[in-house]
Amino acid sequence: MKRIEALKTVTEHTHDLPVTATCAATSRELAAVDDRDNHLYLLDSMGLTVSVGTGIALGVAGSGVRRSVVLDGDGSLLMNLGAAATAGYLQQENLVIVLLDNGVYASTAAIPTQAATLDLAAVAESVGLRVQRASDTDELSTVLARALTDPGPWFLHVTIEPGNEPNTPLLLVDPAVHADRFRRWLTGRTAA
Amino acid sequence: MTTTTQRRHDHVIEAVLGMAPDAVTYVPSNSIAPLITGLTEKSPSSTRVFPVSREEEAVGIVGALPLAGRFGVIVMQDNGFGNALTALTTFAASYHLPLLVLANTRGGLGEYNSMIHSISAPVPQLLQAANIPAFTLDRRNPPQDWRATVAEAGKHARMTYRPVVVLMEFFDFHDEESRA
Repeated sequence: MKRIEALKTVTEHTHDLPVTATCAATSRELAAVDDRDNHLYLLDSMGLTVSVGTGIALGVAGSGVRRSVVLDGDGSLLMNLGAAATAGYLQQENLVIVLLDNGVYASTAAIPTQAATLDLAAVAESVGLRVQRASDTDELSTVLARALTDPGPWFLHVTIEPGNEPNTPLLLVDPAVHADRFRRWLTGRTAA
Repeated sequence: MTTTTQRRHDHVIEAVLGMAPDAVTYVPSNSIAPLITGLTEKSPSSTRVFPVSREEEAVGIVGALPLAGRFGVIVMQDNGFGNALTALTTFAASYHLPLLVLANTRGGLGEYNSMIHSISAPVPQLLQAANIPAFTLDRRNPPQDWRATVAEAGKHARMTYRPVVVLMEFFDFHDEESRA
């Protein structure tokens, strides 16, 4: 499964949910699939995705927004592995972490990450996250549907191929403008 | 702990409770243990008080709260700005996300550690270079000024849509326990 195929599958399930995506190719490809108001692209801040998604999960808890969905990569998660520990500690039932694991820093010359030999799903399980695995789009659709209905916090370990979608446009948006678009979308739903 | 030191903590706790944050995250330090304990014990159930493993994690979590119309506070030690600067600049500042950081200082008067000044002493200049506003409290400020400054810094963060820092030097000539 290519990353962009995984992203298309995720977008089919997340029309009305906040989705926070890690920087570089993941955010660019997500925007190329569908640039929606419910998408928060981290234009830099590598390693911060799970933390930001956890903050959003805390912020929407008790509102009509049922989930905070996080799209992270193995390299990004490894940069801030403590974020998984905090997510396990907090036990936010509305948090869904989708880890797109290709074993490399795909936006950085495909240099291998430690995930080439480490099982990040086992790490997630050890800190109290509910783990499901997927390696094709059908499996991803199945585990995601469960994560969006059953209480989490969820950690969906999704094995993808190395590589980026060619000719994906850069994201040249002003981060303040982008944040305001996302905030307006999200607060419009939390206030409802 | 002297009355002055305890009153500083009490005033800062009251200031934080007064801004009714939705979350308070912390990376502990001995100097701010009474502050963390007090916030943990006195915060209402609507305020989540919890530890994180590193300071950039705190910026990610607390920085995200305004995206949902919420607000949060980070309690940490100033040597953690070395960890937090990338998150503060590329996320909180760039995305115009208000948050309040309350950081005790190290490396100054009363310091016992032989190397911590090497990161703590340049923190004000690091924050200034990163265009992150920082206000300072120390032995020259009466305890009630600590409360007023913290409360106003929280308002300032929200008014200006950016991270704001209060640096708190707890050194007290009359209290050996408060020197670092």
